[in-house]
Amino acid sequence: MRKINRPLLLCALMLTALGAMVAVAQQSTLGVQGEALIGEPKGRPLTAEELDRVTTEVSSRMRCPVCQGLSVADSPTPSAVAMKEEVRQFLAAGYTDTQILTYFEQSYGEFIRLEPKATGFNLLVWILPIAALLAGLAVVIRRVSRPDSSDAQGDASPSAESDLETYLEQVRREVSS
Amino acid sequence: MNRTALIVGVLVITPLLIFLALSFRSDPRDIASPLIDKTAPLFALQDLDGEVYSLEELRGQPVVINFWATWCQPCIAEHPVLVAASRRYEGRVKFLGVIYNDEPEKIQRLVREMGAWGPSLIDEDLSVAIAYGVYGAPETFFIDAGGTIVQKVTGPVSSQYLVNLLESLLSS
Repeated sequence: MRKINRPLLLCALMLTALGAMVAVAQQSTLGVQGEALIGEPKGRPLTAEELDRVTTEVSSRMRCPVCQGLSVADSPTPSAVAMKEEVRQFLAAGYTDTQILTYFEQSYGEFIRLEPKATGFNLLVWILPIAALLAGLAVVIRRVSRPDSSDAQGDASPSAESDLETYLEQVRREVSS
Repeated sequence: MNRTALIVGVLVITPLLIFLALSFRSDPRDIASPLIDKTAPLFALQDLDGEVYSLEELRGQPVVINFWATWCQPCIAEHPVLVAASRRYEGRVKFLGVIYNDEPEKIQRLVREMGAWGPSLIDEDLSVAIAYGVYGAPETFFIDAGGTIVQKVTGPVSSQYLVNLLESLLSS
């Protein structure tokens, strides 16, 4: 059996380990510099069940950019899955939901929010349904509180009264005969 | 008919009709990017050969970033346009392709068949596509020498449009 050159083997192992470390370090620097866009975390890092729950909660407030009316939480598309994973990573790093939504808003604009912010022109979305409801309620109250015009006419009309009398007379005659 | 009801009806329906008419005139998918006139999100990605490209290191010359995939027919259609432009502006403009939801092997095969217009970068977790607010492929971002996004094109770019935009970027 050939004798193994120990120093050579050690050197080869060290070089392999060094190569692996460089590859890992390079891998970790790959991707986008998201932290540069989002700043320092303003919350506490989440873990375990709380992390799962808040990830779903935050991503269900985000619109899937490649779907029709689906939230990121509900969509199975690769883009939505990747976005949900980013949300999870941000939450695990201690970023708040406001910071996370702001980060995605920087790229996609307000489109990313399933629920528009209640400011400016968007206020109409919140105010109009309430205004319509109040207007409808006002119409109903007005109708109910006003005496029915047909009843009023019926009470006042002499011809309707005489018609009723004629009808009652006919019923009495038929019952007595 | 009740005159008041008619007036109220007209007052309610007219703004709604105007709003709908204006909305139907615009393409719902053509959403303006909030990144225009903003600094391009920095990234570093590996190409198919393992070489790392950092956007920060490309400062000083205009950069064209195209998100594309082999399953996307408009991407295939615009491929020759990008190949021609990359040759025309070689050394003056940097063209970067970011693979969007596709397998590197398929990209490799297509590039071999149709030619390359720039490195095809692997965005495995789609973090770069998300940072650029990509909705689908192809989407092309034009970045000036200072690193600011000046234009975004959704869908395939035409040769003339590309040339006009790059000429204005180079002259500014």
